[in-house]
Order: sequence, then C-alpha cells, then structure tokens
Amino acid sequence: MQAFLSQVLLGLINGAFYAMLSLGLAVIFGLLNIINFAHGAQYMMGALAAWLLATYFGVNYWAALIVVPVIVGGLGMLLEKTVIRRTYRLEHLFGLLLTLGIASIIEGLFVNYYGAVGRPYPVPSMLQGAVNLGFMVLPLYRAWVIVASLAVCLITWAVIERTKLGSYLRAATENPPLVLAFGINVPRMIMLTYGLGVGLAALAGVMAAPIYQVNPLMGSNLIIVVFAVVVIGGMGSIMGSVVTGFGVGLIEGITKALWPEASGVVVFVLMAIVLLIKPAGLFGKPFSGATLALDPEARPPLAGEPRQYLVPILAMAALLIVAPAFIYPVFLMKVLCFALFAVSFNLLIGFVGLGSFGHAMFLGLAGYVTGHVARNWGWPPEFAILGGTAAAAALGLVTGVLAVRRQKIYFAMVTLAFAEMVYFFCVQAPFTGGEDGMQQIPQGKLFELIDLAQTMPLYYVVLCIFLLGFLIAFRTINSPFGQVLKAIRENEPRAISLGYNPDRYKLLIFVISAALAGLAGSMKAIVFQIASLQDVYHSTSGDVILMALVGGLGTIFGPLVGAFAIVGMQQYLAPLGQWVVVVQGVIFVVCVLTFRQGIIGLLARWIGRPL
Amino acid sequence: MSDDIILETKGLTREFAGFAAVSDVNLQVHRGTIHALIGPNGAGKTTCFNLLTKFLQPTRGQIWYQGQDITGTRPDKLVAMGMARSFQISAVFPYLSLIENVRLALQRRLGTSFHFWRSTSSLKHLDSRAEELLKSVGLAGMGHTKAVDLSYGRKRALEMATTLATDPVLLLLDEPMAGVGHEDIDTLTELIRTVAVGRTVLMVEHNLSVVSTLCNTVTVLRRGEILAEGSYDEVAGNPQVIEAYLGASDE
Amino acid sequence: MNDSKTMNVATARLAAPMLQVRNLHAAYGESKVLHGMAFEVHKGEVVTLLGRNGVGKTTTLKALIGMGVHRTGSVIFEGRELITLPSNDIAKAGIAYCPEERGIFSSLDVEENLLLPPVIGRGGMTLDQLYELFPNLYERRHSQGTKLSGGEQQMLAMARILRTGATLLLLDEVTEGLAPVIVKKIGAVVRQLKAAGLTILLVEQNVRFAESVADRHYMVEHGVVVDTYANGERGDRHETLGSAKLSS
Ligand SMILES: Nc1ncnc2c1ncn2[C@@H]1O[C@H](COP(=O)(O)OP(=O)(O)OP(=O)(O)O)[C@@H](O)[C@H]1O
Ligand SMILES: Nc1ncnc2c1ncn2[C@@H]1O[C@H](COP(=O)(O)OP(=O)(O)O)[C@@H](O)[C@H]1O
Ligand SMILES: [Mg+2]
Ligand SMILES: [Mg+2]
Repeated sequence: MQAFLSQVLLGLINGAFYAMLSLGLAVIFGLLNIINFAHGAQYMMGALAAWLLATYFGVNYWAALIVVPVIVGGLGMLLEKTVIRRTYRLEHLFGLLLTLGIASIIEGLFVNYYGAVGRPYPVPSMLQGAVNLGFMVLPLYRAWVIVASLAVCLITWAVIERTKLGSYLRAATENPPLVLAFGINVPRMIMLTYGLGVGLAALAGVMAAPIYQVNPLMGSNLIIVVFAVVVIGGMGSIMGSVVTGFGVGLIEGITKALWPEASGVVVFVLMAIVLLIKPAGLFGKPFSGATLALDPEARPPLAGEPRQYLVPILAMAALLIVAPAFIYPVFLMKVLCFALFAVSFNLLIGFVGLGSFGHAMFLGLAGYVTGHVARNWGWPPEFAILGGTAAAAALGLVTGVLAVRRQKIYFAMVTLAFAEMVYFFCVQAPFTGGEDGMQQIPQGKLFELIDLAQTMPLYYVVLCIFLLGFLIAFRTINSPFGQVLKAIRENEPRAISLGYNPDRYKLLIFVISAALAGLAGSMKAIVFQIASLQDVYHSTSGDVILMALVGGLGTIFGPLVGAFAIVGMQQYLAPLGQWVVVVQGVIFVVCVLTFRQGIIGLLARWIGRPL
Repeated sequence: MSDDIILETKGLTREFAGFAAVSDVNLQVHRGTIHALIGPNGAGKTTCFNLLTKFLQPTRGQIWYQGQDITGTRPDKLVAMGMARSFQISAVFPYLSLIENVRLALQRRLGTSFHFWRSTSSLKHLDSRAEELLKSVGLAGMGHTKAVDLSYGRKRALEMATTLATDPVLLLLDEPMAGVGHEDIDTLTELIRTVAVGRTVLMVEHNLSVVSTLCNTVTVLRRGEILAEGSYDEVAGNPQVIEAYLGASDE
Repeated sequence: MNDSKTMNVATARLAAPMLQVRNLHAAYGESKVLHGMAFEVHKGEVVTLLGRNGVGKTTTLKALIGMGVHRTGSVIFEGRELITLPSNDIAKAGIAYCPEERGIFSSLDVEENLLLPPVIGRGGMTLDQLYELFPNLYERRHSQGTKLSGGEQQMLAMARILRTGATLLLLDEVTEGLAPVIVKKIGAVVRQLKAAGLTILLVEQNVRFAESVADRHYMVEHGVVVDTYANGERGDRHETLGSAKLSS
C-alpha cells in the first residue's frame, strides 16, 4: 500500500509538470499556431539556469523561482522577435521545424558544455523533511510542487480566460491582421505571450530541479509525453490541458504501481483510445481547418507533366549505376536507403500536405521484422524484405486510421506520439534485442541466385529496389488517385461535394508511404545486417524531415539529394560528436528562414521547370 | 412529368443547443422546376440546405429523394445519386488547371480513383468532355489556365462546369449571386437558366430580381418555418412576407 | 491626369478633405493591383467606390487600413500621413474597417465579437443600442460567432465597428447577402451615422443601395479612379460608364 501510494504521488508530481508544460504549449499554440518544439529545451534551461545560478552565484531556490522564468522568458521573447516571428505567414509546418531546430541547437550546446550527466540540486531548507499522513509519508517539497503548480495553472487560466486578454489572444490566433486593424498591437502581444509560455516552462524547470537530476536532455524526453497530453486534452482549452496533465500523471503513476512495464506507453495508449472516441481530444473543439495561408510561397509545388521527368529520371538512374566507380558503395547504399525513406516522407508532406513526425516507426519496425524473419525463421531475403514492408504497411493502416482524421499540426503530433509508442514497444519486446539491437542479420541469396554478401551485387539490388520505390511514388503522384489527392489538398469540402471521401484517400496514401518507408527499412536491415533502436527513435524521424527539407519539399528529386547531403554531412561531421546535433539544428533554422524551397526547388526555379 | 416530386422533406427539424434553426419543414420540390428558398437572415435557409446535402444531420424528420429515404446517407454518396451542390463562396481547386478541375468531377465515375498504379494519361479521354463543359459555361479554350488566375465571375462559371460534370439531376445552389458584380448578374442568370434545362434546381438567393426572373416556385422561410409558398408574384404580394422579408416599400 | 481631374472636384469644396488619397499603389506580393488611386473624402460625407469585381476596391480599403497589402503613395487623414504607419496606429487615428469577408472570430461568441475592437474615441454606440438595432444578434448573443447565418455575420461585422467611436468608417459590401428588409435598415443606419457627423467610405455592388445613401461616387477600373460624379448625376454620365464597361 505504501509503495502504491508513493507511486501515485510520483505520478501526481509528474502530472504537475505535464500540466505546467502543456499549459505553456497550449498558450503558445493557441496564439501562434506553432507547436513549440523548443518547449522541452526551455524547461531544461529553467532547471539548468537554477543550477548554474546556485552553483556560481549562490542564488537560492526562492530567488531562482522568480529570476529564472524572467530570464528564460526574456530569452524566449528575444527568440520570438528575431526568429520565430518570421514563420507566421508560412505553413504551420515551418514553425514546427524551426522550433525543432532551435531545440536541437540549445540541447546540443548544453550537452557539449555540461555533458549528459545529471546534477543534483538541493531541496530548499524550508521544504526539507516530510509529514506523516498516517497512511503514507509525504515529503514536503513534493507537496509544495503540487500545490504551487496548481496555483500557477489557475492563475494563468484566470488571466487568460477571465480578462479581455483572452479574447484578444483567441481572436489574434484566428486573424492577426484584422485584430491589428482594430488597433491592438498584436506583435507585442504575441511576443509577451510567447514569453509567458516559455516562462512557464522555465518555472516548471526550476521546480523540477530538486526532484529530478538536472541534465541537458531532461526536456527532450519529457516533451513527447507532453505532446501526447496535449493531443489527449485537445487544443483550444487551457483548463483542459491542466486537467489532462494531472490526470495523465496520475494514471501513469497508478500504472507504474500495478504494471511497471506498461507505464511508459500508457500515455500513448490513452491517446489512441481518446482519438478513436473523440478525435478532437477530451476538451478540444472540433478543428475547423479555417485558417488559410496567404503566403504566396505556401502554394503547392508545381508538378509538371510526367513526361517532362523522363530524361531527368533516366539521368538519375544512369548516375547511380556508375556511382560506385567513384564513391564508396556502402555509403551509397546508406544514402539510397535514406533516400527511399525520404521519398516516402515527401510523398505525404509534399503532395498531400500531411507532415508525419513519426516516420521512423515504419523504417525501424520493418527493419526488425525483416531481421527477425531472416535470422530466426530463415526466410530468404526477398521474402524478408516483403515481410518487413508488409509489417510497415500494416502499422501504417492501424495508425493511419486514427491519424488521418486530424489535420496538419495535429497529424504531426499524433504520428509523433504513435512513433513513441512503437519505440517503447521495441525497447521492451524481447525479439528486438533492446539496447543492443538485432545483430547478425543474414543477407542470404536473393532468389537463391544473387549473393547479397558481396558488395557490388548488393549495391545493384539496393539500387533496383530504390528505383522501384521511387517509381511507385512517382506514379502515385501522377495517377488518377494522385489527382484526387491534389484536389483534397486544395479544397477538401469541394472534393467531398464531388463525391470523394477524403479520409479514405488520405489513409491509402498514408499506407503507401508507410510501405515505402518500410521497404527502405527492410533494405537497410539487409544491407547493414543490423536493426537497432536508433532507427525507431524520434531523431531518425527528424533526420528524414531534414533530408526532405534540404532537398526540397514536394520535389521529385529532392529526397535523393537531401539524403545525400544529410547522410554525407553526418558521416563527415561524425568526429565532432554532439556538435552534429547543433549543426543539424542550425541547418533546420537556416533552411526554414531562408531556403524553404530546398536544393532541388532552387535548381528548378533557376532552370524554370519542375524537378 | 412536372408533377413528379424529386425531393421532399417530412417534418425536417434541426436544433442547435435547444434553438430550432429549422423546424418541421415539409418541402416539396417538383422535377424540372427552378425552386427558390428565400427568407430573412437567419431563417434557416443554409441550414436547410446543409441538411439536404447531408453536411448536417437532422434532429428529426426525413428527406426523400427520388422515392428513396436519404436521411442517413453520407454526403459523398449523394453525387452518385445525381445530387450536386455549389458553395456560397466559390469553390474551385485553385492550383489545378481548368481541365483538371472539371476532370476531377468526371473521373469519379470511372471507378479508378484509388488506382495509384495507373497513369494520369488514363484520364486523357475525359479531356474532350471537360472542354465541352467548359465551353458550355463560356470558358472555351481556357483549359490550361490555372483556376487561381480566373476572375471571380469566371471562377463561378468554372464551379458550375465542375458541378455539371457530375451529371446531376438535382442542383442545389446556395446564394449563387453572392459577391457577383451587378454587371455579371445577367450572365450568371442566363447560365443558370441554361443548365437548368432538363434538371431541377433548388437555390437560396437574396437577389429578388434573379428570383423573379428564374424561379417557378418560391418558398419563404422565417424562423425555421415555412411562411409562404407559391409563384414569385403570389409570395411577393403576401403581407407577412413583405413584413418579414421585403420590408415596407418606401419608394 | 486622373489626379488633376479629382483635384478639380476637390477645389470645388471648401475645407481640406478629411481623407486625401494620392497616387496610391498597392500589390499582393508580385501582383500589382492599384496603379495610382486618387480620391478624397470630406468630413461628414458618404462616398462610394463602384466598379466591377476585381478592379481593386477592396484592395483600396485594405491599403487605407494597412492590412495585408504592400502600399506606396500618400494617404493623408486629418492632416496626418498614414502610409508608413502600421495598421494598429491607423485604427487609433480613428478609422474602422468592416471587411468584405466579415472576419467574424469563431473562437469568440457573438457578444465577445462585438466587444473585441477597442474603443478609440467618444461617440460610439453602446452594446444596448447595437442590440436594439440588430435584434437577431441579441437573440444569438451567446452563440459562437461563426455559427451565425451569413447575413447575421454581416450584421455583426458592421455592428462591432459602430462601438469604437471611429470617425471614418470603411465599409466593404456591407449589404451583401442581407435580406431586403435589413438592407433598408442598414441604409437608415448609414444616414443616421452621417447625421451624427461620421464619415463613410463605402464599397458597393448594390448600386441601388449606394445611390440611396451616398453623396458622391468614384468609378474604379484596373486600380485607378476613372470617373467621379455626385449622387444623382449618373443619368448624364451613363454613356461614359457604359463604354467603360464595354472596353474592359
Ligand atoms: N452550427 C450552428 N450552431 C448554432 N446555431 C446555428 C448553427 N448554424 C446555424 N445556426 C443558427 O440557425 C439560424 C439559421 O441559420 P441559417 O444559416 O440556416 O440562416 P440563413 O437562412 O441561411 O440566413 P442567411 O440569409 O443570413 O444566410 C441562425 O439563427 C443561426 O444563427
Ligand atoms: N490576397 C490576395 N492575393 C493576391 N491577389 C489578390 C488578393 N486579394 C485580391 N487580389 C487580386 O487583386 C485584384 C483586386 O481585388 P479586389 O481589391 O478584391 O477587387 P474588388 O474588391 O474591386 O472586387 C483582383 O485581381 C484579385 O484577384
Ligand atoms: Mg445562408
Ligand atoms: Mg471586393
């Protein structure tokens, strides 16, 4: 009983942090329509700032509680004013990518300076000790965290909902230029609100410092759970995010006491159930999808006539055929695997406008399945690859049914959360080999003929598979089906009134994309003879976004070029260790701010024809 | 033939949080007529429209279409049954060409819309039909223009061509004249008259001169209920209608 | 050339105009829409901009309020140059805008929508007066803003700027989608506002309505003013108008 209650208490404390963080996220999202991916990093900054101030300047906990949110919130405002502001007129996705980049930069920098080890932060003397409640011992600090965070949440809620500020904020979310034209200084209001949201994250960080170890990665692990909390609670309700935050923490705590292995995924299972029953979340209003970007750059990519691509495609194939003469084939194979992966991602985002932030789940799962059936069941490579691809497609079907019911940014969060679920599954499932990964996957003979253990035959098989996947994607775009997808992307209600059911079309393209990602993953498992957790991890989902972005979203050749660039860069910068993360973050930020059309997009504009 | 009822509602009611936007409406639309739904703002015309096109579910009542109860039918299914609607704001696919816009409505009937392995060239044979439809609304020879580059009036015409491409038996138009400059109203009126030949049209419209020149039957709604019904002249002479909708004449 | 024509009309008037627009150019990104609009509005006047779809009437109003377009030229309001100001400062100078697409906020209820624009001057209407004017809005005051019918949203969009006490109202097709009975009422409101000393710049498709309320009209074509005439003089001008229409 004692143990049970203390788990529940721990859950409640986690819940307090979820509530404060999802509240900040909701405030920022509500206003900027941006999912602030940097939120976790800002929470970490709060904790680390408290530690730094205490260590180097002797600033105590109580002072830190005030000073740190002000400093970190101020930095947030600076960030908003200088950088984030420039993405408001773009598609929502870019804001997300930008804050993702910022988060990588911040976390990468702190890891470089302070390492990934945890540092203890003392509990303030006033709150040391515990009270005995009879049925359990309640540490004072923990009681304080719960009470204080509740108070903070309520005050924030009251300020926003019970004052005119609330209606200004809500109106400014919907139509900032009009609110400005009524005489309200919207940019300043946005800056202050972003500062408020970031300040809340930092405050949560300070309060967390004495409980959890202070370390630079403490935010990135938490933020994905917070995203799930936000999806469960539903956007648009501040109170909803608070209630859901505490509720989810509590449920997690109870699960930990009863069935410890499941505690990591319970949030995501909860999310899936809620999505199934109430797609808009528990407290959310159904999303109307009303906002329309006015930015000329937000227009869908120019897609040319299929035959315009014939020569470029042949040229690409020819280049790839001769490439091993000049470039290390193993590197090329890695590029091709990721290129196909990027093709699958680009198919969704570039042509349907659905940004999947959990695409690694298909890559990774397919790798494990291929590895398992090839190694443990002795399947020949062609069947193993098919098996992996089919598994990814099946996963795509299951997750897709839930995910496609939601729009843009919600879709991104839902896919991210599903990927996290798959990750937890892979960490714990016995057949994956956990942290060590699944090793020594046999390559075998393709069709009992081609020995894949030899590099050159393997390369050409990989090339064939890549080209096959590439052509499937290409044809999908230029098919009657692709035509309907374009229509849905441009004007969904009109597509319905012409007799198309959008969800079905979105589901099919999602499954095709998942299958192609799975094909890439299966191929990768055979090439490198290993399937590892890395391939299911969210950083891999981030990598593929980066590839598609650098190559050019919505272009035909962008994914290949992007994969080349990013895989090359990772290889080249590998000796720099954690700096790679920082460099990638910088690339994200630079791409979003100045280079949104990507390499191929730029090239296409140059020569004046789609590529 | 014109006695034949194509669309009928029985006790159609829709409530929003206790407020009845449409209550107990029994509407009969005869085949081959142009039927107008008018009424003061907030009378429930659009709601009625959304109920008929299944964008909303009725709280009570039934909808019968060509002798079939369609109260529970999904909106995307209605197209195959010959029912098509236009939107209050013009609805086109902006970055597709005019041909592609119209072809999207034609291609559904091929049954290949999920065929991602087939080439777009399998749709080429629809192009001539699409051109024909564009021509019928006065957009001949513009097939390769992008819809976004059209003027407002032409977008409306394109939308009409797309709607016609679904080969509708019954056309539902919500405020087709909204936002159309007075110079273009006559053209659009003619267009509606042409497309109405051999079809049934039900429209919501505030422009009374359009209603009076086009429509055979006019139903007036007020506070969700039918206030009057008949020819334009009958309805326009009804004192209740004058009070609720037309306003006392001050000229 | 156009400038000189409108200047002549201007010199016929006594005081300096309240709003003087000269050589106004405006563009959405690459596409230029206004090519040197010039007109003026005097205090207490009701003036309309007439013209076909897409000639740039809405764009003119947006350029005046500084919303969503890139603009150059000169807009002098009560002696102050507005062209460089952000739109919140333009609003505070006493201009209120009722957009063509209504701009009702779906996350606010009807009453919150009404109360949203801050009061910037004295003399605006009170909430009760507005409800009296538009009983539909009172009935639906706790409903979500965009759940209103099209016409009710139009009423709401107009009503909410009458509260602010602005001295110049920019109204873009406010009679669009309204029942004849309401159009008549809006006509009465406009005359009442005029009597109270407000100045109104109106964009209209409904020429009948425009002629029932306005003092003067400007004809716009391809982003410039091509003609101006006092209300009631259209008969004489009809030929020029007709030919202008044919040529476009
Ligand atoms: N989703 C909804 N929720 C709540 N009330 C609604 C909703 N949709 C419509 N209403 C209300 O129902 C009534 C009828 O609305 P409807 O849109 O059908 O009117 P209408 O006849 O089309 O008017 P208009 O001529 O102004 O377009 C209005 O009072 C409106 O406020
Ligand atoms: N947001 C916009 N982006 C690009 N072009 C626009 C935009 N709004 C209007 N336009 C174009 O500007 C021109 C003038 O439009 P507008 O001012 O709305 O005309 P009016 O109000 O006179 O009907 C039209 O050609 C229209 O297509
Ligand atoms: Mg309506
Ligand atoms: Mg306009």
